[in-house]
Amino acid sequence: MLEIMVLLFGMSLLFASVTNMLNHLLRILMFQGIILFTITLLKTTQLNWLSFSLIDLETLIFKAFVIPWFIRDTIWKNQVHRETEPSVSNFFSLATMSLIFVCSFALAVLSQGWSDKLMPLEFGVAFAAILKGIFIIIANKKLITHLVGYLILENGIFLLSLSAGSHLPYIVSLGVSLDIMISILIAVLFINRIKSTFDDADSPTGLKE
Amino acid sequence: MTYLLFAVPLLFVLISLFLNKNLWLDILVLLHALLQLGLGVGAHFRQGLIGGMDRLGLFIYLITSLLYTAVALYRLGGEPAAPTKSYRIHSICLMLFVAAMDGACLAKDLGLIWIFVETTTLASAMLISFEHRKASLEAAWKYLFICSVGIALAFVGILLLVIAQPEHANLNLANLIREVGSISPFWLRMAFVFIMVGFGTKIGLAPLHFWLPDAHSEAPAPISALLSGALLNTALIPILRFDGLMRAAGLGASVRQIYMLMGILSIFVAAVFMLKTKNYKRLLAYSSIENMGLVMLAFGAGGIAVYAGFLHILGHSLVKAAFFLSAGNVVALYHDKHYHKVSGLLETHKASGWLWLISYAMIIGMPPSPLFISEFLIATALIQSGNWLILTLLLILLAVIAWGLGKASLMITMGKSGQKQKLQPLMVIAPASLLLLAAVIGIWQPALPF
Repeated sequence: MLEIMVLLFGMSLLFASVTNMLNHLLRILMFQGIILFTITLLKTTQLNWLSFSLIDLETLIFKAFVIPWFIRDTIWKNQVHRETEPSVSNFFSLATMSLIFVCSFALAVLSQGWSDKLMPLEFGVAFAAILKGIFIIIANKKLITHLVGYLILENGIFLLSLSAGSHLPYIVSLGVSLDIMISILIAVLFINRIKSTFDDADSPTGLKE
Repeated sequence: MTYLLFAVPLLFVLISLFLNKNLWLDILVLLHALLQLGLGVGAHFRQGLIGGMDRLGLFIYLITSLLYTAVALYRLGGEPAAPTKSYRIHSICLMLFVAAMDGACLAKDLGLIWIFVETTTLASAMLISFEHRKASLEAAWKYLFICSVGIALAFVGILLLVIAQPEHANLNLANLIREVGSISPFWLRMAFVFIMVGFGTKIGLAPLHFWLPDAHSEAPAPISALLSGALLNTALIPILRFDGLMRAAGLGASVRQIYMLMGILSIFVAAVFMLKTKNYKRLLAYSSIENMGLVMLAFGAGGIAVYAGFLHILGHSLVKAAFFLSAGNVVALYHDKHYHKVSGLLETHKASGWLWLISYAMIIGMPPSPLFISEFLIATALIQSGNWLILTLLLILLAVIAWGLGKASLMITMGKSGQKQKLQPLMVIAPASLLLLAAVIGIWQPALPF
């Protein structure tokens, strides 16, 4: 069951490479949020139930519903064009994603001997999600798409923390989740301010070098 | 007394909600700064006053406190035209920003340091966008976004450190150093790369510096002073703490090579951009990249240069904060940030003109600046370690930087302006005090506790 969830998460990354619609990317985020929630639940038997119940709820509520809804609301309010308008073609994006998968799994398999904690499938998919998030940020010009890339990167980090055995101290997990949530809220606030100040929330303009 | 570091700003945040004049908000911030400085000085003379804060933490904390006090005085002297509501938010974010930096100085657990460093990003993003101009909003967005991605990568490094440990994860660096024998060197190296990239982004090291020139040039002058003089040092803390672990694991040599590479690359990028930049606040921002590059070069060179690195952190913070506050005076007098549109500062406002020229002389490392000593020691360490190529490159790049910044400084201060203007005395006293302190340190050359 756990492996199937991780594979589904990996497939969502492939789908993110072939779509140009912001709505599709938001659905992928929701899907990933639900998968991460399920994975956390599946792992809860191995972990401290009490401390993880908060993380479980945070994962479901924020990752799967609140943040995607917040971004959708921002897109609607700012009348952002629904296409992501990437700088690279879908084919290139998919080819890059495949390469990212190959590299991530190679690293996972090669480094397996160094740690018995590591679960190669989870590690490979998580690492691929981190790289995919960075790729989306680099290959797109829109602020909203950058934010989606950042969220995919964060989902990858979350999966990696589960793959690492989740021995992080509780206070650290909670603080990290809180910081990430606030950073996203502030980012959305800025997009709204940029829109209201110079009527363009699609892409940054003036500052160069 | 440790709880005061966080309880006081929280209390002041609550009080600020009931204040309806900008002046009262300025006084509140000054009180916070004085208390912060008092605690730091007290902890310097009475060990354990701020429980758990070690020498490195206290060193960075004291620098932050000094700069914060100067900035609070400068704000008191300035006349903010902002509505009280937005000025209140600005003051609240400023106090939280400083409290988050204090947290990073205090924490020894890598996870907690991460949380505090990320919190500084969130608080300071609001400070950068204070003027609500197109450029400042964009700069704040860029800062928030690039630093958040960088800090996220640093967190990947922390997770890899967890993977590196055979038993239960421990992020307390003192404990990690004790148990270094059981940590996998492969994963430790991987963790270091991510932590270096992540926190290096926040330090503004090339090639991850893109946010820094925008944020430092678009923020109000007092915030630029804190961003450059205090925040960059705070972001250096996790790397310096992790450095101890890497050395304990016998990986110090490879770490030093990365420091050298990133250091010289940062100085190179700063030199190139300083030749073409026309915005004088942006020039100062590139100078910050150069100086953080010099700090990394010092730690990379090792030996006597380690002392030079810490002296450089101290000297750069004081001089650069004074320089940014002087730049704030120029903005207040001319309402323009492009140096070819600004001239005759010595005629318009003599004190600000001299402040600018002295800041320039000290930032390029002319005696009695502490940067003269630190750069001299870095060069000595490079000669001792046989790094002649890097030394040659460094000297050429420093000359280019001195020329680029010098050209702008002469254009700003010399020439005719045809008018005299006045500024509040505190807007001169605050940067002048920092420069005086820097000169005293340069002459005194204190034995830093490292």
